[in-house]
Amino acid sequence: MKPAKALITSANPADKHLPLQTIVDAKGETKTPLQILLDEIFAAGLESAAVVIAPGETESYREAAGPHADKVEFIVQSEPRGYGHAIVSARDFTGGDPFLLLVGDHLFRSYTEKNCLEQILEVAEKEEATISGVQPTRESHLNLYGTVSASLIPGSKGLFDVSKIVEKPTPTLAEQELFVPGLRAGRYLCFFGMHVLPARAMDLLSDQLASLSPGESLGLTATLNHLANSGKYLALQINGKRFNLGRRYGILRAQLDLSLAGPHRDEVMAMIIETLASEG
Amino acid sequence: MTDLISIITSDDAARRDTALAAVCNSLSRDELLEAAASLDDFRRTSDNLYHRVRALFFLYSIHRYHLPPKLDNIAGHIPFEGHDHLLNRRFQEAIDVFLAEQDENGPGDGISSALAASYHELAFQTLADQVRKSVRTVRGNQWMFRMGHPADNPLRFRKELLDLSMGASPILRESTPVRMDLSHSGWSDIFFLGMDYPAGAKVVNVSVDLGVHGRDSETRPPVEAYLRVIDEPVIRLTSIDLKATATITSLGEVFDFAKDYLGLLKAAVISSGIVPPGIEGSGQRLEDLLASLLGPGKGFELVSSVNDIPKGSRLAVSTNLLAALIGVLMRATGQTTQLVGPLEESERRLVLARAILGEWLGGSGGGWQDSGGVWPGIKLITGEPAGEGDPEHGISRGRLMPSHHVFDEEEIPASARQALQDSLVLVHGGMAQNVGPILEMVTEKYLLRSDKEWQGRQQALNLLDELIDSLKKGDIKALGKATTKNFYGPIQTIIPWATNLFTETLIARAFQHFGDDFWGFWMLGGMSGGGMGFIFAPERKAEAQEKLAEIMVAEKRRLEHALPFAMDPVVYDFSINPKGTAAVLLGGTSPLLPPNYYQIHVPQLLGRQRESLSETQKQDLLHFRQAVDERKEFSRSIHELFDNILPKDEQKNATSGSLTELLRENGFDRELHEDIRSDIREGRLGLSQNRLSTTTTISDVEEDDVLDTLEIDTSGAEAVGQQALSNGEVAVITLAAGAGSRWTGGAGTCKALNPFAPLDGQFRTFLEVHLAKSRRATKSCGMPIPHIFTTSYLTDGPTRRFLDSVHNYQYPGPVLLSKGRSVGLRLVPTVRDLRFAWEEVAQQKLDEQQQKVRDSVRAALINWAEQTGECTDYTDNLPLQCLHPVGHFFEVPNLLLNGTLKYLLENRPQLKTLMLHNIDTLGANVDASLLGLHRMSGDGLSFEMITRRLEDRGGGLARINGMPRLVEGLAMPDEEAEFELSYYNSNTTWIDIDQFLRLMGLTRDDILADETAIIQRAVRELANRLPTYVTLKDVKKRWGHGQEDVFPVAQFEKLWGDLTILPEANAGYFVVPRLRGQQLKDPAQLDGWLRDGSADYVKSLCEW
Repeated sequence: MKPAKALITSANPADKHLPLQTIVDAKGETKTPLQILLDEIFAAGLESAAVVIAPGETESYREAAGPHADKVEFIVQSEPRGYGHAIVSARDFTGGDPFLLLVGDHLFRSYTEKNCLEQILEVAEKEEATISGVQPTRESHLNLYGTVSASLIPGSKGLFDVSKIVEKPTPTLAEQELFVPGLRAGRYLCFFGMHVLPARAMDLLSDQLASLSPGESLGLTATLNHLANSGKYLALQINGKRFNLGRRYGILRAQLDLSLAGPHRDEVMAMIIETLASEG
Repeated sequence: MTDLISIITSDDAARRDTALAAVCNSLSRDELLEAAASLDDFRRTSDNLYHRVRALFFLYSIHRYHLPPKLDNIAGHIPFEGHDHLLNRRFQEAIDVFLAEQDENGPGDGISSALAASYHELAFQTLADQVRKSVRTVRGNQWMFRMGHPADNPLRFRKELLDLSMGASPILRESTPVRMDLSHSGWSDIFFLGMDYPAGAKVVNVSVDLGVHGRDSETRPPVEAYLRVIDEPVIRLTSIDLKATATITSLGEVFDFAKDYLGLLKAAVISSGIVPPGIEGSGQRLEDLLASLLGPGKGFELVSSVNDIPKGSRLAVSTNLLAALIGVLMRATGQTTQLVGPLEESERRLVLARAILGEWLGGSGGGWQDSGGVWPGIKLITGEPAGEGDPEHGISRGRLMPSHHVFDEEEIPASARQALQDSLVLVHGGMAQNVGPILEMVTEKYLLRSDKEWQGRQQALNLLDELIDSLKKGDIKALGKATTKNFYGPIQTIIPWATNLFTETLIARAFQHFGDDFWGFWMLGGMSGGGMGFIFAPERKAEAQEKLAEIMVAEKRRLEHALPFAMDPVVYDFSINPKGTAAVLLGGTSPLLPPNYYQIHVPQLLGRQRESLSETQKQDLLHFRQAVDERKEFSRSIHELFDNILPKDEQKNATSGSLTELLRENGFDRELHEDIRSDIREGRLGLSQNRLSTTTTISDVEEDDVLDTLEIDTSGAEAVGQQALSNGEVAVITLAAGAGSRWTGGAGTCKALNPFAPLDGQFRTFLEVHLAKSRRATKSCGMPIPHIFTTSYLTDGPTRRFLDSVHNYQYPGPVLLSKGRSVGLRLVPTVRDLRFAWEEVAQQKLDEQQQKVRDSVRAALINWAEQTGECTDYTDNLPLQCLHPVGHFFEVPNLLLNGTLKYLLENRPQLKTLMLHNIDTLGANVDASLLGLHRMSGDGLSFEMITRRLEDRGGGLARINGMPRLVEGLAMPDEEAEFELSYYNSNTTWIDIDQFLRLMGLTRDDILADETAIIQRAVRELANRLPTYVTLKDVKKRWGHGQEDVFPVAQFEKLWGDLTILPEANAGYFVVPRLRGQQLKDPAQLDGWLRDGSADYVKSLCEW
């Protein structure tokens, strides 16, 4: 079920500015987070991409997309009615195809030759399943992520069978319901910020949207749970790192990590030491 | 070889349930020692928790009950090193030291007592450790122990609580019923039992709403917890019932449980994960933690209320309050699915787990059924076997957490529930009780599979089925029969102390008044006397509520000097709660807390500059003002507010027995008092000054210093004694002036009047037992023996009235009361003495969490002493609790001063000997042989000694600088010296009247002529020759609804045994059988006393 389309959501009014920032990537090139994400999408072999944005943001996003601007469709979410609503806004774009879902406020860094997107797409090619990228995450960060209850598929490497998804659980609930055998105590499988969803996901979201009252928000978790209950749903532990740009100092963390992995490592190190020294 | 181990390890339930006693009774001394050695090896190597624990209890039982009678009175020596390990909870090391002593010098009564205590403590510690571990590893609790920094805090307050769109913070209110248990199947809800015997852990309990009959117009969930966000970075805690509030600004204060009355609220804040236990001692700031939870500059306020339901109701009010507080905090931080409404089953279970954690943190521990109010209606709670995946798997047979089956209306129809409500009268008898020792006894008996008790447990399980069956049928009469059968059958078979004279009298009077319409008695919780149920025919329930109130008050008045009561009895109204715990969000422009909340806070806010108030506080004043005008429940608030603020004329409210009057009436010596105060203040008197100089040489007595009456032929002496008795030359003095501080925990009742145990079918008072012994002696010698009870300001009136009411128990001889002639006024202790008592004197260290709580209490008490003023008069209590007797030295001189001896000598001129003994020395009687030995010795005072056991602390017989004499424990220069002494002073003394008078420089003629001035001078001069000790005594102060605080207060005393300092007192020492000399000082000793042959020995001396 390898998808050919990528969908990035970036319409949340609180985070919409994040993909438009300027950041130096691991190659030492200055880009916007949106461009870095699009670089990876197209490098992974996906054919087209769309970004769901808030009204009035098209021009700035087009600019932020840089050289990819012409290959990307910008879809405006008419009203802020939640994450699920943002996704379903792109139903015409995905058509009847599976798609790779990404969030605009995340950046990724792979620890292998393959970038993070390629890792999940490789599994998608072999498996007829919904797939979410996950990462073992400390319980103190559970309030930031969707979290899955899953068990390791015997013989596989980092591939889990998902039975339940809970959005931003408390550690209390996580300990009771989201315990994953084999992980260190206090760690849970939290979303990495990328999913391969079947076309059916759009149908489910549309159905739910239809049943909502005007103005009511639509999330994605119920749809994911429905997919988990009604079909194969896998979680892939991505061999890489995600940066949630929306966290406090999220952009700084991402920038530090990317720069220390890139050609300007010495320069950045010197800068840090200088800063620390001047602080006394 | 005797195989006791197979009883523990056998797969065959019948073998496993073999009673230890049945096997041990037939074993010889050496066989018992051999079996004990095997058991000790076994418990050191077994990796099964319950095998180890059971082996430890077996070892305890062997050394406590089975070995001592087979030791032929060998006393043995208890090494201090072992005792020191024991005090510091190094139980394993203590056992090793004691076993080494046993190996080296052979077994002995003393060493067995030390081993028994060590095994007992280690067994309970092992069990407690396991419960603690299980509590920590329950899923949902674990993360709280890993979180150590505010940045790691994963919880956030829900948006709804931070919403200020209406101008004020909304208030989240959790309302929780309490639980009443129909049966706990023989205390099977004790964690240890449930975890070892899950199949036998079964409880039916009912969630109920309450009201106090006659006070409240309707019933409602009595427990409420309120939570709101405030605009200060603090946690504000308020207990409405305890009228206490605290503003917490640091993490350390959250963990300081006993600093104030808000320990339960603090435990809830911690165990709900808001301030997780892992963050204790991290050095982080509370403000930062609150910022991560709520945003910068914000905090929250937590308020508790139990609608003035008195403490000790046996309805688990405090556990359900803890659960309500945890519930509201968990809801607020998204740890439940719904912010409002009832909880889901998984959430209730988590609240239960957190409540268990909270109770452990607070140093207490209820049973697992106690959070029953969280669940709705009527439910069966059962132990669960530990399965794979449970943290207990492979460690214990059962899980820590039970499961709950809530009966639906098909199982127990609405009509049956109504019938229960229509017949049950729920009451609080008013007694103050400590259930702790009972729970320990139950655990011990269970693990030993004591025959009778084990059968009782099985019977209780059968009765549970009967109870449920009756309930399902709505047959409340049958239910009453079953609960009564439960109370008189299994409950009292397992623990005879679950009942008492008060309860028995209430049951008898209810039956007398209502006859067949009284359907049964229902014991609630761990013991009777507090919360209880009486079941009546429905048409007589209303009448029964009134009548029971009347009976309970009358019986309380009759028995309040004999039994500890914390409050006046109350009758409740109740109804079954169908929802369990549930929450609502109080929003709007002016959400209100309960009226009494404002009675605590408004005076404080009014006393502050308006500018210094936060916005929330300004709004509170405004909302309160509006509520007074608009809300019915606030209509009396202004009046009450003024009543609280304005000063009261305390004198006007004082009762007739004011302190000043009492001091005047009881011979208070103001001059002496001021001298003592000055001596304490200047450091001339104090706990450290009580001690003999460190240069004193203290050694054990030599063989010739004592007369071992167990080793000699006493037939000649017996004849001498019999003759003296027949001639009417002897009288008995029982020291009954004290309150028995340890017996009632400082409650200020008369120990002599306490109906402490059922003997030969009836509850007997200490007074009755002592008279029964004299009656028997009188009968055998044919001459009535005068029996004198010494009394004090505290005990004289009640004892006099009591003896009148029972017609001196038809005692055939003279019964006299000798009232004390002097009294002291207690003082607030010095910090120096408090620190000495708590830091310098060796004492039992507590379990980790309990020790933390104790340290916190002590810090608070030191603060209290400083704030109140060291050495100031202690007057902040009932007048009688402020006075103190001045030591038992004065009891014999009092006979001279108050005319009792004159009366005796006039009526019995041949009187030559007095036998004096403590109220709690139940085995002391007028023994003809000992009397004869005393006469033949020519001694002025013959003191009776017993060989020492570990629990016999407080000095003994020693050679001080080479001279034999009695030395008080508080005079010992160090702890270790006491352990070198072979003999403990029972304080029973044979007194040669003429020699004693000579010691005082008096004659019989002075007494007969009533030469008051001469006698007074003689007493003063003798007293001046004896040391004065300062002691700390725990005194209870009662307040609110059954609440009690215990304060250590300073008092002085002079002690009888110190007469042995004076060579002219001509003292001698007898070694007597242990059963004769041992003392019953603590109710926790009762069970052992009944089982180890002591009670049978006492009965053999009595004639009722």
